[in-house]
Order: sequence, then C-alpha cells, then structure tokens
Amino acid sequence: MTGGYAGSILRVNLTKKAISMLATEQYAEYGGGHGMGSAIFWDLAADQLPFSAFDPRNVVTVMSGPFSGTAVPSAGGRCEVQGLAPQAYPVEWFNRSNFGGRFSTQLKNAGWDGIVLEGAADDPVWINIVNDKATIESAKGIWGLDIYETQEEIWRRVAPGGKMGEWTTLGENYTTQKPAVLCIGPAGENKVRFASLIHDAGNGAGQGGFGAVWGSKKLKAISVLGTGGVPVADPKALMAARLWYRQFQYDVDNPRLPKPPNLFVFSSVSNCPADDQFANKRLPFEPARAQACTSCPKACRQRMSTGMGNELSCADSQWPEGLQGTRKDKEAAGDLVQGYGLNHFEWRVLFAYLNALYKQGVLGPGKKIECDLPMNLYGTPAFIQMLAKKVSLREGIGEILSEGCARTAEAWGRYKEDTDSGLLELPNWGYPAHYEPRTEVEWSYGSILGERDINEHSFNFPFSHMPGTMIRAGLDPVLPVEKLVEVVASKVIPYTGDPLMFDYSEGPTGIYSDHRVKTIAWHRHYTRFWIQSCLFCDWVWPLFITPNSADKMGPTPDGEPRFFNAVTGRNLTFSDGMETGRKIWNLDRSIWILQGRHRDMEVHAGYVYNIPARAAYLPTCEDGKWVYGSKDGRVLNKSKFEEWKTKFYDFEGWNTISGWPKRKTLEDLGLRKVADVLKSKGRLG
Amino acid sequence: MSSDEGLENKKERSYSRRKFLAGSGAVIAADALAACVPANAAPEPSANTSYAASKGYLVYDSRKCAGCVTCMLVCSLVHDGQENLSLARIQIAQSSFGKFPDDIKMAVCRQCMTPVCVQNCPAGACFVDSANGNVRRIDSAKCIGCKTCISACPQQPNRTVWNPIAKKSTKCDLCTDSPYWVEKGGFAGKQACVESCPMHALKLVNVTPDQTETDGYDVNLRNDNWLNLGLVDNMSIVPPSYAKAAAEKPAKTERKP
Repeated sequence: MTGGYAGSILRVNLTKKAISMLATEQYAEYGGGHGMGSAIFWDLAADQLPFSAFDPRNVVTVMSGPFSGTAVPSAGGRCEVQGLAPQAYPVEWFNRSNFGGRFSTQLKNAGWDGIVLEGAADDPVWINIVNDKATIESAKGIWGLDIYETQEEIWRRVAPGGKMGEWTTLGENYTTQKPAVLCIGPAGENKVRFASLIHDAGNGAGQGGFGAVWGSKKLKAISVLGTGGVPVADPKALMAARLWYRQFQYDVDNPRLPKPPNLFVFSSVSNCPADDQFANKRLPFEPARAQACTSCPKACRQRMSTGMGNELSCADSQWPEGLQGTRKDKEAAGDLVQGYGLNHFEWRVLFAYLNALYKQGVLGPGKKIECDLPMNLYGTPAFIQMLAKKVSLREGIGEILSEGCARTAEAWGRYKEDTDSGLLELPNWGYPAHYEPRTEVEWSYGSILGERDINEHSFNFPFSHMPGTMIRAGLDPVLPVEKLVEVVASKVIPYTGDPLMFDYSEGPTGIYSDHRVKTIAWHRHYTRFWIQSCLFCDWVWPLFITPNSADKMGPTPDGEPRFFNAVTGRNLTFSDGMETGRKIWNLDRSIWILQGRHRDMEVHAGYVYNIPARAAYLPTCEDGKWVYGSKDGRVLNKSKFEEWKTKFYDFEGWNTISGWPKRKTLEDLGLRKVADVLKSKGRLG
Repeated sequence: MSSDEGLENKKERSYSRRKFLAGSGAVIAADALAACVPANAAPEPSANTSYAASKGYLVYDSRKCAGCVTCMLVCSLVHDGQENLSLARIQIAQSSFGKFPDDIKMAVCRQCMTPVCVQNCPAGACFVDSANGNVRRIDSAKCIGCKTCISACPQQPNRTVWNPIAKKSTKCDLCTDSPYWVEKGGFAGKQACVESCPMHALKLVNVTPDQTETDGYDVNLRNDNWLNLGLVDNMSIVPPSYAKAAAEKPAKTERKP
C-alpha cells in the first residue's frame, strides 16, 4: 500500500478494555471506508446474526478512506460509520452513516485507517487517541453533557494548555489543530433510536441511530489528534489533478453563473459556497463565514457572528424556520436539538406528526393519545425545549417518542393508517421521506433495496434540483434536456450510451423499464465504492454537469480514478471501481439476508402507491421527444414496481423469488465464503 | 420568563461559557507533553540589521477563508511529497464553536523586513535568497536543527516549522523550492496555496504589507460576487444583487425577519 493508507486499523474491545490492531492490507481490495467496514463486520460478527443493534456483539466500524487527510476535493474529511443500527423499521438492518469535518483527517494523521468497536463497557468511557497511543478512559464528568460541552471538556482534557492558533507540542511533534472528537449527547446515552454521532458543531452521522448504539456500549466519545502525514504515491499527479479540478468549482470571485438573489438551493446547481444554511436566506444578513470540511471547495455551511447555528445545514436548519420567535431563537433551537445529539431529520417529522395528531383531536390531555406536552405552545421555543428534553431523556411522552416515528406510530396503533394516508411519510424502512419517492425513483428504489434513506444527493441534482430550481426561478436549465441525458449517458460506465436510463416517465422506457434497472444498479454500485468507500462527498460527487465549466461538463467519470490513482499508486479504472462497488453491494445484501431480508419485505409504505406526489420537473421521453416534464400527481404502480423488481433481481444475479444472491453471483465476485455461509443458513438464492 | 426568551438565554449562557473556554485554553497539549513550542531564550541578534526586502508577500483574507485547510495540504504536498498538516508552512487554526470572524486564525510567513530567523540562525542556514527575490529561506543542508529560528520568530504560531522526521526547520519560501510540483514557484511564479485556495483568500503581492500591525497581512479580497453569496461581514451591508432585486420586486425580497 504505497499511498493513501496509514496501514493499521485500531480495534477496541470495550468489554475487555483491550486494544489491538488489524492490518489494513488484508482489506485493501475494498478501497477503504464502507467496503472495509462491511468486510470487517462480516469477519467479526456476521456468523452470529441475527441479534439486536444494542447487543454487545454488535460491531461498529468508523472508517476513513484513501483520500482522508488529502487535498482530493470534497473527499479529505468524510468518514463512514457502520454496524447494526436501531432506527430502521421493522428490522435493525446492518446500516451505514457518513459524516464530514476533520475527524477522518486527524485519524489518518494519527496513523489509523479506522476504528473497530466491539463489546460494551460496564461504565461510561471515552477513547483518547494521540498518534499511535490509544487509551480507554473514564467518562466520569463527561457523561450527561451535551455535544458541545462534551467536546469542550475533551479538548480540555487532551489539551490542558495553549491558545487557538499556537503550536502544541506532542513529544517531538507539533500541531495547531484541535483534537477531533466524535461524540454522543444525552439522546445517545438514553438509546434514543434516532440519536446521532456528532463531530465539531455541524457534522453528524445521523441516519441509523448510531448514537444509541454508542450509548448501549457506554461509549461517550472518541477523540483523535495526529501529527503525522498521509503518504501520497504521486504527489505531482495529485497536485495537478487538484488544479485541474478548479475548472469545475464555483469561482467565488468571477462565477460563470452568479448566484441569483433569493435562489436558495443554488448550491445543488453550481456547488456555490454557504448556500445550505437557513440563517442568511433573508435580510438583514448576519455576518457569516462559508465553512468547509477538509479539502472541500464547496464549503456548504456557515459559521455565524453569534456563534449560534454554526455549521447547521440543510434539514438541521430548515425545520426551525417554521418556528415562532426571532432568528436567534431559531438558531438556538437548531443548536438545542444538535446539543442533545438528536437527528434533525427524524426529529422534524416527529415534531410535525405530534401537531398533526393534535389538530385531529387525537392527541392531547384527555385524548386517545395522552400527551404531557403543552400543545397550545407548539412551535414556541418553550415547547421545543420541553420536547427535546423529554425525548432525549425518555421522560413522559418522550419514552415512546424516543423510539422514533415508525415505532411510535406502531405503539399508538396508527402505523398502517398513517403511512397509508401519508400523514406520516415514511416511505422506506421507517425513515422519513426525503426526495420524492414517487417521482425521483432512484431514491426510493435504492432505499428500499438497501437499508435506509440513501441520502446520496449529487446523482439526482442534474435531473431534479438543477432543472427544477432554474425553471422555478424563470431561468434556463444548465443544459437542454436532450443534451443532459446524452451527456450523463456517456458517463455512466459500464452502462454508457443509453439516455433512456434517465427517462422518468411511466411509459415503456421509463421508471418500470429495463433501462431503469441499469440506472439503479449503476447508482448502487457507484455509491458503494466511490462515495462510501473512497469517501468522496455525496453532496458533490458524482458531478456529471456543472455551469462552472466552459463546456458544462463535470469531472465524472475521469476525476474519480484520476484522484484515486494519484493518491494510491494503483492503476484502477472507473469500471474497476464500479465492480468493487457491486461486490460490496452484494456483501451488504448477504448480511441483510442473515438478518432475515426477503424480497417480500422490499415494499414501500402504502402512501407511495396511493397518494399523489408533489410536482417535480424531471427528464421525460414522450413519443420520442425529451422534455422536463412535471410529475405532479403521480403514484407508484405497485404491481409494475414488483415486475420491475423481478427484472432488477435477475440483472443483479439474485433469485427472483427470494431476492437472495445466487452462488454464482457471489463466487464471480470473489465472495465464495459468503456463499458458503448463506448456504449453511439455507439462504442462498 | 417568556417562552421566547427561554431558548435564547440558554444559548447565550452556553456561548458565554464557550467564550471563556476559548480564552482559557481550548487548544491542545497532551498532558504528557510539554507546553507550546520553544520557550528558549532568544539568542543575541547578529550585527546585520539591514536586509533587502522580499519581492513577494503572501496576504490573506481571514474572513473569506473557509477553513478547508487545502492550503496546508498542498503546501506539504509540493514541498514534502506528503499530506501533513504539521509540516505546512501556512497554518490555519479554527474553532468550530467560535464566533465569526474570530473562529479562524490564518498564519502565513511575513517575509519580515528584519527577518529574525535569518538574523539569529547560528549556522547560516536561514538566509535571504537574493537569487530568488530576496525570499527568506532555510537551506536544509546547513540547518543543524537547533530550533533557534523557531524560538526567535515573534509570531504566534511561529512561522518557522519543525520537521520532526528530518529534524530540521522549514519555512515558507513562496514555493521557490517545491520539488513535487511541476509549476515554477517563487516570487515571480506560482504558490501552491494561492493556486488551490477555492475561496481565493490568499494572494501574492509585491508591496510590503504594514509590518507594524499584527493584522497587516489580513486584507479584504472580497468583491460583489462574494457578497452576493450572503457572506457579509457587517449587518448594514446589503449584497448588490439583493439590493437590485429588492428595488425591482420589493414584495418578494423584503421578507419579515
């Protein structure tokens, strides 16, 4: 391993208080991040499945990738977390989450490619990593603190002296950087099923509820500080690639397509900085900084002059917009929920669900669902404070709400009714709706065939956000629709040359067709390797088209292998990476199958098939002519989706009755031992 | 207390505490380790107190910096062939919980008019490179690893950087000697940090910045396009495109706060 890797993975057994290491080399074929995490989970835990996410046998991996700590754009600071996770409904699938910042940067600088967590501690602990030294320390005085206080206290314990911007001495080594801390808040300690892992102010591994898993292991935090370097196989090639990439960046001084005023999701069109936070979407503006993860030119968040709402972006900052009170109140509300370590994305739906039931007269004092919240104060700061505390500490009605939307609805006997009607939009595995499941089908298909809301943004930007944003603003889309589908079709190796892969119609070449089978397969395989294993940020990559370059072309599929090979010294093609992604996708599926996955379970919530969708502009081929067509009012056809699933399973080499991989499929991917285990469990397709 | 006051007050209290922490040692130094870099007594300065001015200086806009540390990563990449924040000759320190603009501190070598690193080097390794625009440099072949240049540097963090592997000091040379980069560096060439900064928050100038001010190198590199991103540094500023839109369609842009 000549470049991109530290060479060792830290292994921590919390039950035995034992620290050891794994050689990264033995997992090299997976590239890093998710692939390595899946392979480690398989080796250490899969043969004992099924068991609960809160079982000490659950293995959690926190993995960097080959680009962590490097100047590869939008890839230097991502980090992948995996293990069984309690948010998914009805099964706690083997799951993943991903966060940015600088944790994986510091991890690599300290000499580690990842961390493997096993067992559970008797008393609360945190893990302190300073270069090659790792210790398990008592969390006395930290347990119970919010995520801000936790990090401040750990900074103080690791670094009792010094000032910001001065060198700190670590033996013969020096750094100006703070320790990078990944931690849980009170919500995680109390095993709230949508508790996050938080790093710095605004980086969260939210989906899955890994905060609750750490809580079950009595692990409050991991801190890492490193002063070493990341080896790069070809430094000249990496520097050249980084400068080559400038043509695709938003030029903050002289943009080809300047940000129009009041066009607030322009980042999904142009990757312009600081566009994903609520604070400066209105006049008067608050002084703020665009803030970035390691090596990222997009800098999607902001830090504010008040220090409030720092780095909260997207959903973290959107739900408070509807609250009563001042802008400061809204920023404080975001910080409060973040401080408890709650996942904003699930929180905001739970919040709205309570109000919907209250308005229906179902919930409240003396109602069918007894509630100890002052619902007349709904939307006020006082209400937010009470609700966040009750949920995080499992007090009163918080005891059931802490189980998350799906399990709360189930406990109230309302799950089917409310997910059929769309009162509670949980289209896939109990996760709140994200992109429209009836129209942007790569999102819903990918989610239900996987383990969670996929949260893989950049693939759908050119199809939905870019045209939708521009059309709604009265502007021309970045590319005419015919050109868009032609360009993207030329880039989706190994399925190039088929623009109908991006036909969002319900016609014979649309969302139920063989063409769409290839689209979904490409997306699943691409993200498993290039995004989740190499750890390019999904908020930027893949980048098919961009208004920033002279010809509107983006760096995909040239950029991914160019950066990979410069850093690692390997000679990987884009297609090689896609094949590794397919291998990881099949390995993950095999783990789910050991947890009980069957084709019959891969069905969306009822409202997706019954309730009309909201409008979205998407490429549509109508009678041979392409348009950006509105999909307002669409519902998914359940029987057609089931027919499509059969085609997809067949394409992937899975049994079309059970959805389980066939032996040949696994063996062709080099997963013979996986096939043997599935066979022994009677679950080989 | 009204309900509206509740959250804000809680946050204010919280942030007061953070402010205290930031000033009392939010950063670093493992307990097994010593305090900050070299507290050695400054050596006696050499007789020479007059040096030719550098023909190039890095200036920066600390309000434009996004904290991505790309400048640090490319610095070590082109000079040392590896990604290493500790070897970077430009340092960006930041606090995620801080208040803009004090959440980031940028530290570039000032190419001082009176370079104490050169003045005090006992080995003659630290020198004014007259063949390359009088850039203040360190000749690693001559460096004896005494760290005098580090302790003598009056800036915090020290702009001279310790390489623990080579056991020698290094410093910003404006990429005059950047063996892992194909571009020509130096005062008349390109600098890796300037070229790669996605915020254009670094710039090479040939006029000596005010050396009497601690922030004389911290300049305004923002233009209207920057303001139009909503990234103002003063609440009284209305970005030009927003002002224009407000004038044309006041109903749509003058929103309630």
